[in-house]
Amino acid sequence: MAVKRTKNHKSILKELPKRLHVVAESKYSQSFNRNPMSTAATPRTRKTIAGIPAWVLYSLLTIVFWGAWGAVSKVASAGVDSNTNQVFFTIGLLPLILIVLRSRRLAIGTQRRSGMAWAFFTGILGGMGNIAFFHAFVVGGKASIVVPATALFPVVTVLLAAMFLHERLGKLQMVGLMCALVASYLLSM
Amino acid sequence: MSWFSGWVIFAAVALVLWGASGVTQKLATNRISSELSFLWFAYAMLAISVLLALTVTMHWHVGRLIFWLSVIGGTLNGLGALTSFAALESGGKASVVISLISLFPLVTVAAAIVFMHERLTMAQVIGIAFALAAAILLSMEPDFPSDVQPGGQ
Repeated sequence: MAVKRTKNHKSILKELPKRLHVVAESKYSQSFNRNPMSTAATPRTRKTIAGIPAWVLYSLLTIVFWGAWGAVSKVASAGVDSNTNQVFFTIGLLPLILIVLRSRRLAIGTQRRSGMAWAFFTGILGGMGNIAFFHAFVVGGKASIVVPATALFPVVTVLLAAMFLHERLGKLQMVGLMCALVASYLLSM
Repeated sequence: MSWFSGWVIFAAVALVLWGASGVTQKLATNRISSELSFLWFAYAMLAISVLLALTVTMHWHVGRLIFWLSVIGGTLNGLGALTSFAALESGGKASVVISLISLFPLVTVAAAIVFMHERLTMAQVIGIAFALAAAILLSMEPDFPSDVQPGGQ
Protein backbone atom coordinates (compact mmCIF):
# COMPACT_ATOMS: atom_id res chain seq x y z
CA MET A 1 0.00 0.00 0.00
CA ALA A 2 2.87 2.29 0.97
CA VAL A 3 4.64 1.44 -2.26
CA LYS A 4 1.48 2.15 -4.24
CA ARG A 5 1.10 5.52 -2.51
CA THR A 6 4.71 6.41 -3.32
CA LYS A 7 4.09 5.44 -6.91
CA ASN A 8 1.02 7.66 -6.97
CA HIS A 9 2.96 10.54 -5.50
CA LYS A 10 5.68 10.03 -8.06
CA SER A 11 3.25 9.98 -10.94
CA ILE A 12 1.48 13.04 -9.58
CA LEU A 13 4.81 14.85 -9.24
CA LYS A 14 5.68 13.82 -12.77
CA GLU A 15 2.41 15.15 -14.08
CA LEU A 16 2.49 18.29 -11.98
CA PRO A 17 4.05 20.61 -14.57
CA LYS A 18 1.53 19.37 -17.15
CA ARG A 19 -1.37 19.90 -14.71
CA LEU A 20 -0.19 23.35 -13.73
CA HIS A 21 0.10 24.22 -17.40
CA VAL A 22 -3.50 23.10 -17.96
CA VAL A 23 -4.69 25.20 -15.01
CA ALA A 24 -2.75 28.22 -16.25
CA GLU A 25 -4.08 27.75 -19.77
CA SER A 26 -7.67 27.46 -18.56
CA LYS A 27 -7.23 30.58 -16.41
CA TYR A 28 -5.98 32.55 -19.38
CA SER A 29 -8.61 31.23 -21.74
CA GLN A 30 -11.29 32.04 -19.15
CA SER A 31 -10.11 35.60 -19.00
CA PHE A 32 -10.80 36.07 -22.70
CA ASN A 33 -14.23 36.03 -24.24
CA ARG A 34 -15.27 32.93 -26.06
CA ASN A 35 -17.02 34.99 -28.65
CA PRO A 36 -14.93 38.12 -29.11
CA MET A 37 -17.60 39.86 -31.18
CA SER A 38 -20.24 39.61 -28.48
CA THR A 39 -18.68 41.42 -25.59
CA ALA A 40 -21.99 42.26 -23.95
CA ALA A 41 -20.72 43.51 -20.61
CA THR A 42 -17.57 41.40 -20.90
CA PRO A 43 -18.34 39.56 -17.69
CA ARG A 44 -15.21 37.44 -17.97
CA THR A 45 -13.18 39.24 -15.32
CA ARG A 46 -15.07 41.02 -12.58
CA LYS A 47 -11.73 41.84 -11.01
CA THR A 48 -11.83 44.27 -8.11
CA ILE A 49 -9.07 46.19 -6.37
CA ALA A 50 -9.90 47.30 -2.80
CA GLY A 51 -13.56 46.61 -3.55
CA ILE A 52 -13.61 48.89 -6.61
CA PRO A 53 -13.98 47.30 -10.06
CA ALA A 54 -10.57 47.20 -11.78
CA TRP A 55 -11.97 48.78 -14.95
CA VAL A 56 -13.11 51.83 -12.93
CA LEU A 57 -9.64 52.25 -11.39
CA TYR A 58 -7.90 51.86 -14.75
CA SER A 59 -10.34 54.38 -16.27
CA LEU A 60 -9.59 56.87 -13.48
CA LEU A 61 -5.85 56.36 -14.04
CA THR A 62 -6.42 57.08 -17.72
CA ILE A 63 -8.20 60.32 -16.81
CA VAL A 64 -5.17 61.35 -14.71
CA PHE A 65 -2.59 60.45 -17.39
CA TRP A 66 -4.52 62.05 -20.25
CA GLY A 67 -5.42 65.05 -18.09
CA ALA A 68 -1.70 65.60 -17.37
CA TRP A 69 -0.94 65.08 -21.09
CA GLY A 70 -3.56 67.75 -21.89
CA ALA A 71 -1.88 70.22 -19.53
CA VAL A 72 1.62 69.47 -20.86
CA SER A 73 0.58 69.66 -24.51
CA LYS A 74 -1.24 72.93 -23.83
CA VAL A 75 2.17 74.48 -23.15
CA ALA A 76 4.05 72.49 -25.81
CA SER A 77 1.62 73.19 -28.65
CA ALA A 78 2.36 76.91 -28.36
CA GLY A 79 5.90 76.33 -29.65
CA VAL A 80 5.63 73.48 -32.15
CA ASP A 81 3.42 72.65 -35.15
CA SER A 82 1.08 69.68 -34.92
CA ASN A 83 2.99 67.39 -37.32
CA THR A 84 6.34 67.86 -35.59
CA ASN A 85 4.55 67.50 -32.26
CA GLN A 86 3.16 64.12 -33.42
CA VAL A 87 6.71 62.90 -34.14
CA PHE A 88 8.08 64.12 -30.79
CA PHE A 89 5.02 62.59 -29.13
CA THR A 90 5.89 59.22 -30.68
CA ILE A 91 9.46 59.49 -29.33
CA GLY A 92 7.83 59.65 -25.88
CA LEU A 93 6.13 56.32 -26.59
CA LEU A 94 9.45 54.52 -27.17
CA PRO A 95 10.42 53.94 -23.50
CA LEU A 96 6.94 52.52 -22.84
CA ILE A 97 7.26 50.19 -25.81
CA LEU A 98 10.59 48.90 -24.45
CA ILE A 99 9.08 48.28 -21.00
CA VAL A 100 5.92 46.60 -22.31
CA LEU A 101 8.01 44.37 -24.62
CA ARG A 102 9.29 42.61 -21.47
CA SER A 103 5.78 41.73 -20.26
CA ARG A 104 4.95 38.03 -19.91
CA ARG A 105 1.33 38.80 -20.75
CA LEU A 106 2.25 39.41 -24.38
CA ALA A 107 1.98 35.68 -24.95
CA ILE A 108 -1.63 35.23 -23.83
CA GLY A 109 -4.87 35.58 -25.72
CA THR A 110 -7.05 33.95 -28.29
CA GLN A 111 -7.26 34.85 -31.97
CA ARG A 112 -4.01 36.72 -31.55
CA ARG A 113 -3.63 37.72 -35.18
CA SER A 114 -7.01 39.47 -35.39
CA GLY A 115 -6.46 40.96 -31.90
CA MET A 116 -3.19 42.54 -33.02
CA ALA A 117 -4.85 43.76 -36.22
CA TRP A 118 -7.64 45.46 -34.23
CA ALA A 119 -5.06 47.07 -31.93
CA PHE A 120 -3.02 48.31 -34.91
CA PHE A 121 -6.21 49.62 -36.51
CA THR A 122 -6.99 51.47 -33.24
CA GLY A 123 -3.67 53.30 -33.56
CA ILE A 124 -4.35 54.15 -37.21
CA LEU A 125 -7.85 55.46 -36.36
CA GLY A 126 -6.52 57.49 -33.43
CA GLY A 127 -3.60 58.90 -35.43
CA MET A 128 -5.74 59.75 -38.47
CA GLY A 129 -8.30 61.30 -36.12
CA ASN A 130 -5.56 63.53 -34.68
CA ILE A 131 -4.47 64.62 -38.16
CA ALA A 132 -8.08 65.43 -39.16
CA PHE A 133 -8.58 67.29 -35.87
CA PHE A 134 -5.54 69.53 -36.41
CA HIS A 135 -6.40 69.99 -40.09
CA ALA A 136 -9.79 71.39 -39.05
CA PHE A 137 -7.86 74.35 -37.59
CA VAL A 138 -5.68 74.70 -40.68
CA VAL A 139 -8.76 75.16 -42.91
CA GLY A 140 -10.27 77.79 -40.64
CA GLY A 141 -12.05 75.98 -37.81
CA LYS A 142 -12.19 77.91 -34.54
CA ALA A 143 -10.80 76.10 -31.51
CA SER A 144 -13.79 77.27 -29.45
CA ILE A 145 -16.08 75.22 -31.72
CA VAL A 146 -13.89 72.36 -33.02
CA VAL A 147 -12.60 71.25 -29.60
CA PRO A 148 -15.99 70.98 -27.79
CA ALA A 149 -17.64 69.45 -30.87
CA THR A 150 -15.03 66.69 -31.26
CA ALA A 151 -15.10 66.06 -27.49
CA LEU A 152 -18.44 64.38 -28.13
CA PHE A 153 -16.75 61.37 -29.78
CA PRO A 154 -18.08 58.92 -27.11
CA VAL A 155 -21.49 59.25 -28.82
CA VAL A 156 -19.99 57.44 -31.82
CA THR A 157 -18.46 54.79 -29.55
CA VAL A 158 -21.77 54.19 -27.78
CA LEU A 159 -23.65 53.85 -31.08
CA LEU A 160 -21.06 51.55 -32.65
CA ALA A 161 -20.71 49.50 -29.45
CA ALA A 162 -24.49 48.95 -29.39
CA MET A 163 -24.45 47.93 -33.07
CA PHE A 164 -21.34 45.74 -33.21
CA LEU A 165 -20.65 44.68 -29.63
CA HIS A 166 -24.30 44.50 -28.48
CA GLU A 167 -23.47 46.49 -25.37
CA ARG A 168 -26.28 47.62 -23.10
CA LEU A 169 -26.20 50.39 -20.53
CA GLY A 170 -28.13 50.61 -17.28
CA LYS A 171 -30.55 53.51 -16.74
CA LEU A 172 -28.17 55.32 -14.39
CA GLN A 173 -25.32 54.79 -16.84
CA MET A 174 -27.44 56.36 -19.59
CA VAL A 175 -27.92 59.42 -17.37
CA GLY A 176 -24.16 59.30 -16.67
CA LEU A 177 -23.46 59.22 -20.40
CA MET A 178 -25.57 62.34 -20.94
CA CYS A 179 -23.75 64.06 -18.05
CA ALA A 180 -20.39 63.02 -19.54
CA LEU A 181 -21.30 64.52 -22.92
CA VAL A 182 -22.38 67.81 -21.34
CA ALA A 183 -19.21 67.81 -19.18
CA SER A 184 -16.89 67.01 -22.13
CA TYR A 185 -18.46 69.81 -24.14
CA LEU A 186 -18.31 72.41 -21.34
CA LEU A 187 -14.79 71.50 -20.17
CA SER A 188 -13.44 71.74 -23.72
CA MET A 189 -14.81 75.25 -24.29
CA MET B 1 -22.58 76.42 -47.47
CA SER B 2 -18.85 76.99 -47.93
CA TRP B 3 -18.23 76.25 -44.22
CA PHE B 4 -19.54 72.74 -44.75
CA SER B 5 -16.73 71.75 -47.09
CA GLY B 6 -14.01 72.97 -44.76
CA TRP B 7 -13.36 72.43 -41.10
CA VAL B 8 -16.73 70.79 -40.35
CA ILE B 9 -15.79 67.77 -42.44
CA PHE B 10 -12.39 67.39 -40.76
CA ALA B 11 -13.94 67.81 -37.30
CA ALA B 12 -16.59 65.21 -38.17
CA VAL B 13 -13.91 62.81 -39.47
CA ALA B 14 -11.95 63.22 -36.20
CA LEU B 15 -15.14 62.62 -34.20
CA VAL B 16 -15.99 59.42 -36.08
CA LEU B 17 -12.43 58.02 -36.12
CA TRP B 18 -11.87 58.65 -32.40
CA GLY B 19 -15.30 57.21 -31.60
CA ALA B 20 -14.68 54.12 -33.71
CA SER B 21 -11.27 53.58 -32.10
CA GLY B 22 -13.08 52.93 -28.79
CA VAL B 23 -14.80 49.93 -30.35
CA THR B 24 -11.67 48.58 -32.06
CA GLN B 25 -9.84 48.89 -28.73
CA LYS B 26 -12.44 46.62 -27.18
CA LEU B 27 -12.26 44.18 -30.07
CA ALA B 28 -8.50 43.96 -29.51
CA THR B 29 -8.66 43.39 -25.74
CA ASN B 30 -11.32 40.71 -26.24
CA ARG B 31 -8.66 38.70 -28.02
CA ILE B 32 -5.27 39.69 -26.60
CA SER B 33 -3.80 41.25 -23.45
CA SER B 34 -3.84 45.01 -22.87
CA GLU B 35 -0.02 45.00 -23.12
CA LEU B 36 0.03 43.40 -26.57
CA SER B 37 -2.85 45.68 -27.64
CA PHE B 38 -0.84 48.70 -26.52
CA LEU B 39 2.23 47.52 -28.43
CA TRP B 40 0.37 47.25 -31.74
CA PHE B 41 -1.39 50.55 -31.08
CA ALA B 42 2.04 52.14 -30.53
CA TYR B 43 3.43 50.51 -33.70
CA ALA B 44 0.61 52.17 -35.66
CA MET B 45 1.51 55.52 -34.08
CA LEU B 46 5.14 54.92 -35.06
CA ALA B 47 4.12 54.13 -38.64
CA ILE B 48 2.06 57.33 -38.88
CA SER B 49 4.91 59.42 -37.47
CA VAL B 50 7.47 57.94 -39.88
CA LEU B 51 5.06 58.61 -42.77
CA LEU B 52 4.56 62.20 -41.57
CA ALA B 53 8.30 62.78 -41.15
CA LEU B 54 8.90 61.56 -44.72
CA THR B 55 6.07 63.42 -46.44
CA VAL B 56 5.44 66.65 -44.52
CA THR B 57 7.83 69.53 -43.85
CA MET B 58 8.96 69.30 -40.25
CA HIS B 59 10.17 72.14 -38.09
CA TRP B 60 12.79 70.43 -36.01
CA HIS B 61 14.24 73.61 -34.55
CA VAL B 62 12.22 74.03 -31.40
CA GLY B 63 13.30 75.01 -27.91
CA ARG B 64 14.62 72.31 -25.59
CA LEU B 65 11.72 72.80 -23.16
CA ILE B 66 9.11 72.48 -25.90
CA PHE B 67 10.83 69.34 -27.24
CA TRP B 68 10.86 67.65 -23.84
CA LEU B 69 7.28 68.71 -23.06
CA SER B 70 6.15 67.13 -26.34
CA VAL B 71 8.07 63.93 -25.57
CA ILE B 72 6.73 63.77 -21.99
CA GLY B 73 3.27 64.41 -23.45
CA GLY B 74 3.75 61.32 -25.63
CA THR B 75 4.75 59.21 -22.61
CA LEU B 76 1.75 60.43 -20.57
CA ASN B 77 -0.59 59.80 -23.47
CA GLY B 78 0.92 56.33 -23.95
CA LEU B 79 0.45 55.51 -20.26
CA GLY B 80 -3.19 56.58 -20.63
CA ALA B 81 -3.58 54.38 -23.70
CA LEU B 82 -2.13 51.43 -21.75
CA THR B 83 -4.48 51.92 -18.79
CA SER B 84 -7.47 52.42 -21.11
CA PHE B 85 -6.66 49.06 -22.76
CA ALA B 86 -6.38 47.58 -19.24
CA ALA B 87 -9.79 49.04 -18.30
CA LEU B 88 -11.38 47.38 -21.33
CA GLU B 89 -9.54 44.10 -20.74
CA SER B 90 -10.65 43.95 -17.12
CA GLY B 91 -14.33 43.98 -18.01
CA GLY B 92 -15.30 47.57 -18.78
CA LYS B 93 -17.76 48.11 -21.62
CA ALA B 94 -16.41 50.20 -24.50
CA SER B 95 -19.35 52.62 -24.27
CA VAL B 96 -18.85 53.17 -20.52
CA VAL B 97 -15.04 53.23 -20.39
CA ILE B 98 -14.71 55.59 -23.36
CA SER B 99 -17.40 57.92 -21.94
CA LEU B 100 -15.68 57.87 -18.55
CA ILE B 101 -12.15 58.51 -19.83
CA SER B 102 -13.38 61.29 -22.11
CA LEU B 103 -13.70 63.30 -18.87
CA PHE B 104 -9.91 63.77 -18.77
CA PRO B 105 -10.17 67.56 -19.45
CA LEU B 106 -11.34 67.70 -15.82
CA VAL B 107 -7.72 67.02 -14.74
CA THR B 108 -6.34 69.36 -17.43
CA VAL B 109 -8.54 72.17 -16.11
CA ALA B 110 -7.49 71.40 -12.51
CA ALA B 111 -3.79 71.41 -13.54
CA ALA B 112 -4.24 74.71 -15.38
CA ILE B 113 -5.72 76.25 -12.22
CA VAL B 114 -3.01 74.90 -9.88
CA PHE B 115 0.11 75.30 -12.05
CA MET B 116 -0.80 78.03 -14.52
CA HIS B 117 -3.01 80.02 -12.16
CA GLU B 118 -5.85 80.10 -14.67
CA ARG B 119 -9.33 81.07 -13.49
CA LEU B 120 -12.37 78.88 -13.91
CA THR B 121 -15.09 80.05 -16.26
CA MET B 122 -18.73 79.48 -15.35
CA ALA B 123 -18.97 76.88 -18.15
CA GLN B 124 -16.05 74.98 -16.61
CA VAL B 125 -17.60 75.05 -13.12
CA ILE B 126 -20.82 73.54 -14.51
CA GLY B 127 -18.72 71.12 -16.59
CA ILE B 128 -16.88 69.90 -13.48
CA ALA B 129 -20.18 69.25 -11.67
CA PHE B 130 -21.47 67.26 -14.66
CA ALA B 131 -18.17 65.38 -14.94
CA LEU B 132 -18.25 64.27 -11.31
CA ALA B 133 -21.88 63.17 -11.61
CA ALA B 134 -21.03 61.34 -14.84
CA ALA B 135 -18.07 59.52 -13.29
CA ILE B 136 -20.21 58.23 -10.41
CA LEU B 137 -23.19 57.24 -12.57
CA LEU B 138 -21.10 55.56 -15.28
CA SER B 139 -19.34 53.46 -12.64
CA MET B 140 -22.68 51.97 -11.53
CA GLU B 141 -22.61 48.76 -13.52
CA PRO B 142 -25.97 46.95 -13.49
CA ASP B 143 -26.05 43.17 -13.69
CA PHE B 144 -27.86 42.04 -16.81
CA PRO B 145 -28.57 38.33 -16.33
CA SER B 146 -28.06 37.63 -20.03
CA ASP B 147 -24.57 39.12 -19.91
CA VAL B 148 -23.24 36.25 -17.83
CA GLN B 149 -21.75 33.71 -20.14
CA PRO B 150 -20.93 30.14 -19.16
CA GLY B 151 -17.29 29.94 -18.19
CA GLY B 152 -17.15 33.63 -17.48
CA GLN B 153 -16.54 34.93 -14.01
